[in-house]
Amino acid sequence: MTDRPAVRREPGSYRDPSGFVFRRDGVLYRQINAVFADDWAAFESSGLHAALVAAGVLVADHPVPIDLASEPGAVAVIRPDEVGFISHPFEWSFSQLKDAALLTLRAQAMATEHGMTLRDASAYNVQFHRARPILIDTLSFERTRTGEPWKPYRQFCEHFLAPLALMAHRDGRMGQLLRTWFDGIPLDLASELLPRRTRLSPGLAAHVHLHARAQRRHAGDTDASTRTAPKSVTMSDSRHKALLDHLRRTVEGLHLPAHGTQWADYADQTSYSAAGTASKEAIVQRMLEAVAAEGGRQAWDVGANTGRYSAIAAAAGFEVIALDGDWAAVERDYLKLRAAGETRIMPLLADVADPPPGIGWDNNERASLLQRANADVALSLALVHHLAIGRNVPLRMIAELHARLAPHVIIEWVPKEDPMVHHLLSAREDVFPGYTLEGFRAAFAADFEIVEEAPIEDSRRVLFRMRRRD
Amino acid sequence: MILIFAYIDPGAGSLIIQALIAAVVSVPFFFRNAIRSTLGRLRRKPADGASASFTPEVPGATPTDPE
Repeated sequence: MTDRPAVRREPGSYRDPSGFVFRRDGVLYRQINAVFADDWAAFESSGLHAALVAAGVLVADHPVPIDLASEPGAVAVIRPDEVGFISHPFEWSFSQLKDAALLTLRAQAMATEHGMTLRDASAYNVQFHRARPILIDTLSFERTRTGEPWKPYRQFCEHFLAPLALMAHRDGRMGQLLRTWFDGIPLDLASELLPRRTRLSPGLAAHVHLHARAQRRHAGDTDASTRTAPKSVTMSDSRHKALLDHLRRTVEGLHLPAHGTQWADYADQTSYSAAGTASKEAIVQRMLEAVAAEGGRQAWDVGANTGRYSAIAAAAGFEVIALDGDWAAVERDYLKLRAAGETRIMPLLADVADPPPGIGWDNNERASLLQRANADVALSLALVHHLAIGRNVPLRMIAELHARLAPHVIIEWVPKEDPMVHHLLSAREDVFPGYTLEGFRAAFAADFEIVEEAPIEDSRRVLFRMRRRD
Repeated sequence: MILIFAYIDPGAGSLIIQALIAAVVSVPFFFRNAIRSTLGRLRRKPADGASASFTPEVPGATPTDPE
């Protein structure tokens, strides 16, 4: 044993007494506690476990010796396959959250066929593995008790239905409410924010509006104070199926209104000529291949927009996280990639100028974006002017951020003479005397060594490949 | 009386309203399935004479399923 503890419980894994996730020597394990032994045995013997894994609904796991348990009280320890990158629901676009919701309902449907039920419908139990949603909580299933209602109904409505409805019927940006209410949007709030016309939609009228009213009405209930004691609510199997079917129809019936935002149409209206685009693509590809040759596997395309360069990175052999701060760009990228069956690129809604912070208990339950930085290379194309001029971030700070993101950086310098910078400066004073190519090189020199510098044809922009000084 | 075993709070109002909603939506759900199974039986009979069996729709089988 070393001085440092080699076993560490995952910070977000504390709610459920039936087990938890921990790391031992960096390897991810899940401990199943004695209190859950019977349900765990039923999960195996019912065939549900195997069926879920075979269907790609649940992440695969492997049994390991019980002496790997991290705390007393274990009946089993498993080693789940790890998903590459943990993302949070407020970093998903509308369709990503919708796919996660439908996956959750599908898991519950499969569970009921096996005499079991999903006891937890947290959106955090879904992750994107090879760009498709998958359940990661192997302990989410328990035996059905006859007549029992679906316990995570409220959680499903708060984690999935309310944000999806708000995005579909109010504004695509409403998904960001999940950053504040990370454990689900309160239904009274959702009910208040949704347009009145949604009261005429049977699904939303029932599962959001009436649901919120019922919550308010029964808030102070105890078994003694009410005729309908909550603990005596029963529901037949067929009603249970009907409810789940209705939830699925409600979710499937939600669609975003079709309109773009400033960024979603951006790639179509860049300042590049055809020759400039071809030159930029060729240089980016060459630089990515150079990083791949040094062993790079994970790329973050920062400000990915519609994902043109994410695709080049994937073709060069990288797994790509395609970050963009604009929900419509992420949505469009996700739909395009899903239709194409692309599994190497994960679009992610995040703004590097305001990266998602650590949230929840101790600010540590859900890790910040920078804590999750796992890239070998950061691809920052047509980004620096948005940060430096659009957001007044000094070049030195932009360099420091990149040093936190990845050991290799492929970054595009966009000079003041560029039409896009002209546009940014069109309505404001130019308070950026240091925004020059020399200033850019100097700002990055402290953290990075410039390996390659390539001017883009038919343009005044320059591409840099840099390596962090470690 | 059924005791609810859950580490998450299902919420009193949520339990009550879900039972009510389930009761209401189970009516169209029943008829939809009945119609579907009848149509399925009618369609299958002339084709191969196979015995018509009611195949419930798999809820959640959506175009978004991972392949």
